[in-house]
Parts: sequence; structure tokens; C-alpha cells
Amino acid sequence: MKKQLLIIPSILFVLILSTFFYLLIIERNPSELPSNLLNKNVPNFKAESLLKNENFVSSKEFGNEIILVNFFATWCSPCRDEHVYIKRFANEKGIRVIGINYKDNSNNAIEWLKNLGNPYSDVPIDKDGRIAIDWGVYGIPETFIVKSKGIIKYRHVGPITKKIYKKINLLIREIEQ
Amino acid sequence: MTNKTFIIIISIFLIQFFLNSSYTVEPDEVLENQKQELRARDISKNVRCMICQNQSIDESNAPLAKDLRIIIRDKIKEGNNDKEIYKFLTDRYGDFILLKPPLKLSTLALWFLPFIFFIIGFFIVFVNNKKSKKI
Repeated sequence: MKKQLLIIPSILFVLILSTFFYLLIIERNPSELPSNLLNKNVPNFKAESLLKNENFVSSKEFGNEIILVNFFATWCSPCRDEHVYIKRFANEKGIRVIGINYKDNSNNAIEWLKNLGNPYSDVPIDKDGRIAIDWGVYGIPETFIVKSKGIIKYRHVGPITKKIYKKINLLIREIEQ
Repeated sequence: MTNKTFIIIISIFLIQFFLNSSYTVEPDEVLENQKQELRARDISKNVRCMICQNQSIDESNAPLAKDLRIIIRDKIKEGNNDKEIYKFLTDRYGDFILLKPPLKLSTLALWFLPFIFFIIGFFIVFVNNKKSKKI
């Protein structure tokens, strides 16, 4: 009886070890946190628009379609890297992308979009970063998928890479169904 | 090393250690009302800097930490209580923004498993001790 009980610690040990091993080998980024806004409505905000004369009012913009919201700035170099993919979303996939210009110089931003191409349907200006805080943003670039009725379905922190581009496309297709 | 220099070095370390209340809070952020400022600093010490992750916003000089410090101070000036301020933060950033995880149904294991393990361990030691005495 007692000898049989002795096997329990070794089994436990192997179990714990395999759990750790599993967590090590699966593709996972432990610093990646799901947004607290998932499945919630987009925060209400009103902001000056970089390209249009009228103000951007969030309650008027989010509604029927799937929209990508991308926080960017000209001073952020990963934003430049992901710009190709943002353009592909807008041009190839026909997805509306709203670009929130985070703590940036407006003239630089206009110039930047002129040079690199403008994939954004509208660019609200977040001068002091308060809009970003309402969205729970902690480091740009960040990209959100917002589905109809303005509900946030996904948040990606960091630049969009080829892999993430594919992932977001897949997610959008899933949401559409 | 003589005894004297040793004592001096140790006391420098000790002074450093006790004075180590960080001063990342910039002068323009500080509220005039001291009571409110103290409250702001207390809250800031419990709020995680989401970029640096293991620092509080009170210690961090990341821009987001500064923004949050200012928001906390604005909210205090507007007359919000601590609970409302924490709710504002967790609504946006989740419980992760609090350095101390709140006691919730989902965190029960986190808070109480150590005690349970302690009791089990104590029990095992107690039983084994009794057995060994018999022999």
C-alpha cells in the first residue's frame, strides 16, 4: 500500500513538467494580453479630423460594416513597417480603415500619408493620447477589428506582419459569416 | 578595509535603501492640495505601467505612465473616489493594470492555494512525525 502511494509524487512531477513543456512549445506570447474591451462597444469619442473639415464623431462612424481601427503616428517606425498591410486591407480587401493619429504633429502626418499613400477613410486626431487610453491602448501601433454595431472583436498590439495580416483576414471572414 | 570605512559604506547603502521613494512624478504634475497629491501617489503605486509591466506608474517615466498619472490627478480634482478611479482604469486595461490581483471568483485559487498547500504540508509533517515517534 505504502509503496504504491510513493508513485503519486512522481506522477505529479511528470504532470507538472509536461504542462510547462507544453506551454513552452506552443506558439504563445505571454506578454500578449487580450483587450478588456473585447465584445464591448467602441468608446465614444469626438475628435478633430486630420483630412476633413468636420469633426470625427465615433457614434456616427461605427455601425453596419466591419471596420479596422489603427492607432499610428509618424514618429513610430513599426507603424511605417505595417503601412503596406494597412494599405492592402483598404485597397485589396475593401475594408474601411480608420487611422487614429496618436500624439503626432499634424503636418508631419499629412506629409507621411501623402508619401506613403493614405489607406484611411478618416483620421481622427488624438493629440494628448486620451482617446487611446479609452481604447486601452498601451503602445502603438495597435489595431482593432470592430464589427457591426460597433463591437470590438479583436485587438492586435504591435505592427501587422505578414502572419498577422493573414490572421486578421481570417478573423474578418469568420466574423462576416 | 578598516572598520570605519565599512560602517560608512553600509550606512550609505542603508540611507539609499530607505530614501528610495522614487521621484518620477514631475513637478508640473504635482497637485497643490497635499492631501489630494498623497492620494494620487497612493493610487499610482498600485497601478501597473502597462509598457514596463513590473513597475508602477509612480516609478515609471514612460509617457503612458505620465498620462495615467495626470488622469488620476484630474479625476481626484473632479471629486472621484478611489474606487471610481480604479474602475476607470480596469474598464480600459483590465485587472492586469492593478499590481495586486483583486480577490474574485477567478482568482480564488491564486489567493488561497498557498494556504491550502501549507495546511496539507503541515498535516503530512504532523502525521509522519507521529508515526516516527511510535517506532
